[in-house]
Amino acid sequence: MRLLAGVIEIDGKEKLLIIEDGVARLEPVESQAQREEFGCYQLLKKRELHLRRGSVSGPGVFRFRYGPVTAGVREAGCFNLYTFGEKILHAGIDVSWKHRGIEEAMSNKTPQRALALAEAVCSNFAFSHSVAYVRAVENALHSNVDMGVQNWRNILLEAERIYNHLHVITKLASAAAQKVLTSHLSSLFEEALRLNEILTGSRYLMGINQVGGFHHLPSLENMQHAINGYSLIAKRFEQLYVHSVNNANYMDRLHAAGTITADQAIAMGLGGPSLRACGVKDDLNTTISHLIQLPVITQNEGDALARMEVRAEEIMNSCEYIIDHLKISDAWNFNTDEATKSIRENGEGCGIANSPSGAVAYYVVLQDGIIAHARIFTPSYVGMHAAAFSLDEYIFTDFPFIFDSFGVHFSDAAR
Amino acid sequence: MLKWWPLFGIRRHLTEKKAYTSPIRLQSLYGKLFQRSLFIYILDVGSSNALNFEISALESPQYNIHRFGIYFTDSPRHADVLLILGRPTELMLAPMNETLNQMPEPYYVITIDDSMDDLPMSPYPEMRHHVAQLKGIPSPSELLGLLLELPKNKRIAS
Amino acid sequence: MINFFWASLFFFLAGALFYKKSKASYLLAFLGSVSALVVGIYALNSSEQLFRMSLTPNVSITLGLDHLSALFIIIASIAWIALSFYSVDYSVFYPKSNLSLGFNLALLGMMLVLSARDGFSLLIGWEIMTIFAFIMMVISGLHYEKAYRFLAFGELSTACLLIGFALLYQSTNSITFDALSRGGSVVLIFLSLGFIIKMDIVPFHGWMRGIYGEMPDNAAAILSGPVTLMGVYGLERIIPVMPINDTWNLVIIVLGALSAFWGGLQAVAVNKVRLLPAYSTIENNGMILTAIGFYALAQSITNPDLHYLALFAQATSIIIALSHTFSKTLLFMSLGHAKEAYDVHTIDEARGVWSGVGKIPALGIVVSALSFSAFPPLIGYVGEWMILETLFQSYKFPNVSTEFIAALTGVLTALAIGLIGFAMIKLIGYTALGYDHGRKSRVISNRFMNSSETGMLLLILLCGVALPAVIILLGFPQLLTSLLDVPAPFVLASNQPIFGVITPTLIFIVLIVLMIVPFILFISKRTKVRKVTSWNGGLPLEEEEYFTARAYSQILEHILRNVYHTKEVRTKSRSTIEVEDIMLRPMNWLTRMVEKIGEGEALVLMNGRISAYVAYILLLFIIAFLIGMAVM
Repeated sequence: MRLLAGVIEIDGKEKLLIIEDGVARLEPVESQAQREEFGCYQLLKKRELHLRRGSVSGPGVFRFRYGPVTAGVREAGCFNLYTFGEKILHAGIDVSWKHRGIEEAMSNKTPQRALALAEAVCSNFAFSHSVAYVRAVENALHSNVDMGVQNWRNILLEAERIYNHLHVITKLASAAAQKVLTSHLSSLFEEALRLNEILTGSRYLMGINQVGGFHHLPSLENMQHAINGYSLIAKRFEQLYVHSVNNANYMDRLHAAGTITADQAIAMGLGGPSLRACGVKDDLNTTISHLIQLPVITQNEGDALARMEVRAEEIMNSCEYIIDHLKISDAWNFNTDEATKSIRENGEGCGIANSPSGAVAYYVVLQDGIIAHARIFTPSYVGMHAAAFSLDEYIFTDFPFIFDSFGVHFSDAAR
Repeated sequence: MLKWWPLFGIRRHLTEKKAYTSPIRLQSLYGKLFQRSLFIYILDVGSSNALNFEISALESPQYNIHRFGIYFTDSPRHADVLLILGRPTELMLAPMNETLNQMPEPYYVITIDDSMDDLPMSPYPEMRHHVAQLKGIPSPSELLGLLLELPKNKRIAS
Repeated sequence: MINFFWASLFFFLAGALFYKKSKASYLLAFLGSVSALVVGIYALNSSEQLFRMSLTPNVSITLGLDHLSALFIIIASIAWIALSFYSVDYSVFYPKSNLSLGFNLALLGMMLVLSARDGFSLLIGWEIMTIFAFIMMVISGLHYEKAYRFLAFGELSTACLLIGFALLYQSTNSITFDALSRGGSVVLIFLSLGFIIKMDIVPFHGWMRGIYGEMPDNAAAILSGPVTLMGVYGLERIIPVMPINDTWNLVIIVLGALSAFWGGLQAVAVNKVRLLPAYSTIENNGMILTAIGFYALAQSITNPDLHYLALFAQATSIIIALSHTFSKTLLFMSLGHAKEAYDVHTIDEARGVWSGVGKIPALGIVVSALSFSAFPPLIGYVGEWMILETLFQSYKFPNVSTEFIAALTGVLTALAIGLIGFAMIKLIGYTALGYDHGRKSRVISNRFMNSSETGMLLLILLCGVALPAVIILLGFPQLLTSLLDVPAPFVLASNQPIFGVITPTLIFIVLIVLMIVPFILFISKRTKVRKVTSWNGGLPLEEEEYFTARAYSQILEHILRNVYHTKEVRTKSRSTIEVEDIMLRPMNWLTRMVEKIGEGEALVLMNGRISAYVAYILLLFIIAFLIGMAVM
């Protein structure tokens, strides 16, 4: 299936960044038909920082501005909720408060320096961003990466997925006032972060990825520690998950909250577990070759409960994946010299990675080994748009469930 | 047979026993304040989100900050410490100043700067009681060590 | 005393004659009201006949005063004093209105009603009051259809009274009030129906919605307070003397409770804040009706235990009538003041009276709204708590069905008090003390307005705090007693042996004492105080971000959507919530029927064709011919 990840416009020339069957491809725009093929074309082209501008008027209708400094959603961002008291008539999200201009900052930097900037877009998606970025650079330089590096990238992507999904489910449980569940999930989340540190030396998997290779690999002892850790997380999480699904209160809060249909999701360019929860089998998992295939988890309802269930199953599958791959990882060989070779070339390329909330897409143009242009298309941007869309016609008490179930972040949406 | 939630995991001891040390020295503290409890308000002005996740990690049972009397508040008006995450973007300067305005005396301000030099972020304005400036992304243990230092020190020269 | 009575009538007439000069006219009304107050005070302890003129051997016009008339004259005249004094300034805003004509003559009519001693003079006063109230509406520019609605209900009430007195004459050959004790149940029903309709009881409340908020506030205050007080007076006059009918007593108890509940319920969901005082009138009058019904019921049962309860219920009805009249007058005065200072058409557009207009009108709104919400130690609290105490004792009635109905009444009344408290927050929080949205008020002469409002405000507080004095003045000293360490007469007991007590005096003293210690602590600590704007996510609030009054009540409108028939009218960029008062449906249906029949009749009969009219003439001729033949 074809999904539009981004629209690039440089010097008047337009290109579409399309994900087809798990592969990223650039298509120059020549006809209007190409523009009309995707519902999210305008959204991705303009990339406005005020999502879903619009207002509702009426007697007693007022705009409830939640943000930019809030305690519930800790990041700096603003929700403009039009309401006449209980129901949200129209929701708009303003992400401009966290715009740091990372795309502009990437210009005239070496690829290595720009990699640090890519990781700084959203540090909890740091590894996905770095993978998408290095894939774009490697694509631009037509360099090949050996299987060992690719496999390690897969493992660490799944590690990132685990702790992010745990965070989302922890927030949902906390919003539903399931105190015991929240505490246990929170301890699993902290364990996952510690396992990240054991595997890479950084709790957020930062500073480990490089163009063409890895900074270092974990020792055998650490790998064994990680295997034990992930199997414990999987076992404990399954226990908690089965227990929580039987709690009618918790399920009731999530059920039928923020429902989107598959057509609406595709038209908005939504991706990741939120898209899969609507019943669409996307192929982001085939972005990379696997030794053991990760199944694509889908649900059908498209509500917050479905999004939570997709994430829960993905946690358990990812733990299994990491354990299986770590066990056989010493059989992979590397050509680590590649990592330190200096790069001196021109080209343009694109790369995508399967981040916990959807596809991250990068487009880079290299000139004389320096980044001339960079474009970042993040999953949180379309995710925020979809979250704002799904908030319409729901009441305020559903707000934390609907918003948190998308797993989107303001720093990621605002770049 | 599913166990009743209040009994779930009741015999698991998740809180770690560890001495937490602060990564930096604190400057110009009041004496004898916040001995029994410390209420913190988190203000994210432009961080890259790792710090937000570290705060979420700090709320986990392994650290169990409630045993030290450390709590996160929902309003700056109830806070003793303002923890500023990241360097402010230009748009966030006004809300940050308003938050500082709403803090009741006495209070401390701790800033954590995780931004990169390449980015056009504003410098921190002059703030009263700015007792700690951290750089990078401190781990929750380091952050907890820092918070635990706050009530203990007497007034010392920076 | 006679001199003062005629003086008051004279002043009202003079005020009506000088209607062109509104200030002088209202000052004359003020003088008339003061005379009326003096008359009332005199007559509290001495009854006297003032006037008698025989028309036929059996019918005469008699005017006289006794204790009950005096009570109601005092209550009404205090409201008249405040309103006429207030109108001296207020009339400036309606220069072409000539309202003072209707104002003075309505007051005159009410004075006649209160001093009537037979049905004929009562009806004369009643009609004068109704017609001149109607004239006030028409003069102030109200659309004729809405004024006709009021007139229709007013005349319905007069019609019931007419039928009642006619039946009384038929059975007893006299229509003086002394003959009432010989009247039958049918007379009771018709007369009390006439008074009930005047009291704005549901479902006879339909005319209010078009009227309130579109009339000048001094006229609206007259319609809301003193005019409905006349209905209360009538009921208090006839119920004690007429033969007992237990079924009817239960009917009016239930009707009163339903009315109170409905008033509170609709007050919560009104679209426009200006209709809130209207529904509050319905609620209070419902409670008065319940109290009167209880009084009658308790009197009828021969159990001596219940006689104290009957006395208490009667005192309740008078205290609620007093508190309602005073609070409603103050509310309308303050709302009118704020409206005119902001120069807006309706009170909905006036917000933040405290900062925008002035402290006195804002305080007036706050105190009257608090009095309606049963906030101690104000007089409204006393009245509402007294009715609850009366209803708590429903178990004392011997009959199970009576107990059940009384318990149901208690439920409805308690709900009504809660709902009206919820609704009054809109006035206190948004109109009086809320943010003024940058509106500026114009400079107006407000000495008279401010003095009226201040006087009424102090009176409401004083009546609550000095309740024992009020109770003794009203003539119920048996209700005051002592309890524990509180000496007599500061405790108002709802039954003997003591069942429940009301002591606003003690509450007031305790509040003052409890406030002293924190105040001293605050002064002595000398902490630095810094003023900041409200916390709203780090940014100041913009105009469209302010919470609205309608959003505040929307939660109840949604929960009770079956009762309100809440509907959302939604387009992509506009949303409106509509609620409905379903008790108005019969009246609206009737109006539509009348219109249709009238139109149909006009089209068919008065069709403008000469041939039809010739046919009518011929028809009449033939009928006259036939009748003549039959007679001969």
